[in-house]
Amino acid sequence: PHPSTGGGGIAPLTEQEEEEQPLQAVLVADSFNRRFFPISKDQPRALLPLGNVAMIDYTLEFLTSTGVQETFVFCCWMSNKIKDHLLKSKWCRPTSPNVVHIITSDLYRSLGDVLRDVDAKNLVRNDFILVYGDVVSNIDVSQALQEHRHRRKVDKNISVMTMVFKESSPGHKSRCEEDDVIVAMDSKSKRVLHYQKTQGLKKLQFPMNIFQHGSDEFEIRHDLLDCHISICSPQVAELFTDNFDYQTRNDFVRGILVNEEILGNQIHLYVTQDGYGARVSNLQMYDSVSSDMVRRWVYPLTPEANFTDQQGQGCTHSRHNVYRGAEVSLGHGSQMEENVLIGRDTSIGANCHISNSVIGNNCTIGDNVVLDRAHMWNNVHISSNVEIHQSVVCDGAVVKEAVHLNKQCVLAYNVVIGPNLSLPDGTVVSMHHPEEEEEDDDDEFLSDDQEVGHSKDKTRQKAFNPAEVGPEGKGYIWKASMNDTEDEELAQCLWGLVLNPDPESDSESEASEESQDRSRSVSPEIDDVNAFQLEVLGTLQRGLEENIVCDNLVLEINSLKYAYNITLKEVMQILTRVVLEYPFQQQGTQLTTLQYTGSLLPLLKTWSPVFKNYIKRAQDHLDCLSAVEELFLEQDTHQTAMVKVLMKMYQLEILEEEAILKWFSTGATNDKSRQLRKNQGKQRMSLQRKESEEDESSEEGE
Amino acid sequence: MELQAVLMAAGGGSRMMDLTYNTRKPLLPVGNKPLIWYPLNLLERVGFEEVIVITTKEVQKMISTDPKMKLDVKMKLDIVCIQEDADMGTADALRHIQQKIKTDILVVSCDLITDAALHEVVDLFRAHNATLSMLMSKAHEFTETVPGQKGKKKTGEQRDFVGVDGTGKRLLFMANEADLDKGLVIRKSIMRKLPRMHIKTGLVDAHLYCLKKSVVDFLADNKSVSSIRGELVPYLVRKQFSKSMTSPNVNDEADQKLKKKDGNANLEIQILSRDEVLLQLTRERSCWNDHRGDMSEAYHGVRLRCYVHIMDEGMCYRVNTLAAYIEANRLAPKLFDEPAVHPSAAISVRCLIGADSIIGASCQISDKASIKRSMIGASTTVREKVKVTNSIIMHGVTIEEGCNIQGSVICSNTVIGRGADIKYCLVGSAQRIEPEGEHTTLSECDWT
Repeated sequence: PHPSTGGGGIAPLTEQEEEEQPLQAVLVADSFNRRFFPISKDQPRALLPLGNVAMIDYTLEFLTSTGVQETFVFCCWMSNKIKDHLLKSKWCRPTSPNVVHIITSDLYRSLGDVLRDVDAKNLVRNDFILVYGDVVSNIDVSQALQEHRHRRKVDKNISVMTMVFKESSPGHKSRCEEDDVIVAMDSKSKRVLHYQKTQGLKKLQFPMNIFQHGSDEFEIRHDLLDCHISICSPQVAELFTDNFDYQTRNDFVRGILVNEEILGNQIHLYVTQDGYGARVSNLQMYDSVSSDMVRRWVYPLTPEANFTDQQGQGCTHSRHNVYRGAEVSLGHGSQMEENVLIGRDTSIGANCHISNSVIGNNCTIGDNVVLDRAHMWNNVHISSNVEIHQSVVCDGAVVKEAVHLNKQCVLAYNVVIGPNLSLPDGTVVSMHHPEEEEEDDDDEFLSDDQEVGHSKDKTRQKAFNPAEVGPEGKGYIWKASMNDTEDEELAQCLWGLVLNPDPESDSESEASEESQDRSRSVSPEIDDVNAFQLEVLGTLQRGLEENIVCDNLVLEINSLKYAYNITLKEVMQILTRVVLEYPFQQQGTQLTTLQYTGSLLPLLKTWSPVFKNYIKRAQDHLDCLSAVEELFLEQDTHQTAMVKVLMKMYQLEILEEEAILKWFSTGATNDKSRQLRKNQGKQRMSLQRKESEEDESSEEGE
Repeated sequence: MELQAVLMAAGGGSRMMDLTYNTRKPLLPVGNKPLIWYPLNLLERVGFEEVIVITTKEVQKMISTDPKMKLDVKMKLDIVCIQEDADMGTADALRHIQQKIKTDILVVSCDLITDAALHEVVDLFRAHNATLSMLMSKAHEFTETVPGQKGKKKTGEQRDFVGVDGTGKRLLFMANEADLDKGLVIRKSIMRKLPRMHIKTGLVDAHLYCLKKSVVDFLADNKSVSSIRGELVPYLVRKQFSKSMTSPNVNDEADQKLKKKDGNANLEIQILSRDEVLLQLTRERSCWNDHRGDMSEAYHGVRLRCYVHIMDEGMCYRVNTLAAYIEANRLAPKLFDEPAVHPSAAISVRCLIGADSIIGASCQISDKASIKRSMIGASTTVREKVKVTNSIIMHGVTIEEGCNIQGSVICSNTVIGRGADIKYCLVGSAQRIEPEGEHTTLSECDWT
């Protein structure tokens, strides 16, 4: 139940009214993380240019084209910049079909805060679309919306969210490694049963209770790309208010799924095969989405469409996906090979090679420059003989003569590099000193979108290191070392995770799994028995070391017996085995038979009370004997020792004479032991002789 | 000869002991034919000319001597007897006949009654050069009331979880609910290769398998595997994704493994399940691939592949419970077009026999008897004014005057006294039911 304030509250609507309600959207123009640091220190992520257009414009265009009529844009970090941008844009013109409300607050710390504010301000009246300000998409969600509404009508508000996914196979470059999810769903109802991020997991585990909902067909999908577009029922905002520990959508989804039985809320998914949807969640994704954009995968959102309707943004599209803005000059001998977008008033020198790159407005590029997968924003100056590979160069940066940027470099705002320098892979250069960051960082919440402005002047004084940024360079290197901070989030580099499939460990896990399987098939309770055996061994060892009385040992073994649920027969077999293996255990398996018996026989004597405690009935004797036999069948090099062992056990009155004789007669029916006897005929004879000697001696004794 | 057919007919029918106490499972009458006739007929229909039947001495004797059990098949039956008390599993049986196996095999269980198109299973086997292909079907709800069970018994049985890929053909996962106490666990590497997995639960395994010859050889070396369904199939399914089956340098690895003790067995199945060179070449040269979405070769280089054909419609029963037996009796006659009433049966003109009933050879049905939705076995005598509805009467039963039998199963050579009223009962063989008795829902059959 929601407190309905004023006329705009969510008083029950009739069906017709519901249809007529304008479709609303909540756009969160803040990422609440710092994956774009230090770039986002100067510009919020939503305003970073992608294909020379601010990312938030793509999101708004997507919402508008899908039929949204009212959008609430929530800004936190650098809200003024976003506000200015939006006020100047076409969205705030009176003719805009999509009314944009900008809501700013410095207090938002997470998506949860935003949605709690949505609830507090009572902004949404009906199903709404929830997106981030960095989502680029052309998916038509009206179908998903229809399904969502239908479900809500049929099931009385049980479905609270429909997540939009795009089919895309694992490893596709528009899939963000960090966002890889595995989804278990009900095939028929499209209900999400299990939702889990797979990053860092080797095995995917699905609890059994998710399969107990009466359905007999489920799907486990790893071919889904999370577009970060969700269709939410109005309850979503309330649920966030009720559960103040929900910070992200991930928390929310997991919370709903776990509490499904209590709260009765469900989440569904909508999978689209065509259409494009991706969230620019790190630079890797920025690179992929930007190149998809230029390759026209997000049609009709293409660079030449100028959908933001800004003057001077128009460009022409020619073959090989080469786009040129107005007043672009290209020097003699320069080639734009393919997938190149060049903003207006940019001039390019002679003999340049440009491929798969985006160049912003008002850039100047010298002669003999090679650009491949470069993302250059506005007002960038590149001198001659520069080479740039898969790197981002932000506004106002200057790259001097003969600089070489290797893969995954980032030059943040207004950095100057060079001349004559080669930056290694993954170098990040910013005008902000890394330490300035750390100083402010003490109690700061983790967001690139936090206010850090006050100490800027102080840090400016620190000198630039010419070895790092070149003799004329300006800027500080952001070392990878700063990634060593405890925060997981920071440990992931700006470009996102490096793909390392790690096949080695994979096979290991397989091997271990297999061996597990094998052992399981042999005997299901092998673990218990093994554990018990180890415990018995430990107990006996301790008994020797600490000179514990045999009665106490028996007590301990008995309690172990109950702990591991071992039968008396097994106790005796294991005890026999442990004792007989004890010399091997202590002194290695290379013992000669003589050494073996030498160390074993005193042990037998010490522990004979323990044996006597367990070997009472005639059957026990036989079991014990078979355990002895089994052990010596395994230790076939020591079979001759068996005679002495039996002899000793007989002398210690552990085993009775009758039992030993009986074992000889019955034991022969056993297949293996027959073999043993056959192979060890000599031994058998000596055994029998000993036996008879024993008989005599025992008779004498009596 | 591409495939050798093997029929497993040595099972005891432990899940319906009431019925199989006197009659061995392969010989239970279904639609007045012994159960074993159905899989044989299935094989014959698709053109097998020879079949290896693994069964017990007792069954063999019955088949060759008892005219009622005469198998009406033209195929050459190569009957191999195994000791009944040896407690042999299906895999043990295969190992037993290893010498006879010259090609890939098709294994069928004797309790399978289906109208499935067998070629679907075999085509999968051929098309993908699979190591295993099998048949499954959607499970049927048994609608008939089962004698001896009050009300509908809730099936508390553990479900089987079967995982297939996006096309619904490749078998990726197989486990029983009972073994999944830690939840369903799948390796991520599998999901990366085959990102879409359908998990189905409401399926019955028809116990019909196409197996490569190498699997039989593997069994011969691996004595610990005793059941096809219980151990071999799960093993093969699992083995599809183990590293050793995909790595290109099998030989090196195999050499290493030889040195280890237990590697031997793996090695066997590994080498033999390798694709033929020519086939390998074809696959390399062609642009065909079994999957989309990544650039790796067809089947991701997996040499051991398991497939399953899941029947969407049609009939597929495994007669291994009483409920299934009753259901099969109701539906089986639709599988063959023979006259419902055997020509040698003596039937009075003034009796009523429903079109959905079957009357066996040399039956005698007297005046005013009424038989509806029932099966009457050979040499059974039904006297005046007897009403039989929804029941299965086996061979040589005598039903005296005025009896009323409803929803029951009467086993062979029983005599039912005059005027007895039997509802939803299971009556054992060679019993005498006292006249004028009234019985409902009893299944004790007095043989103890």
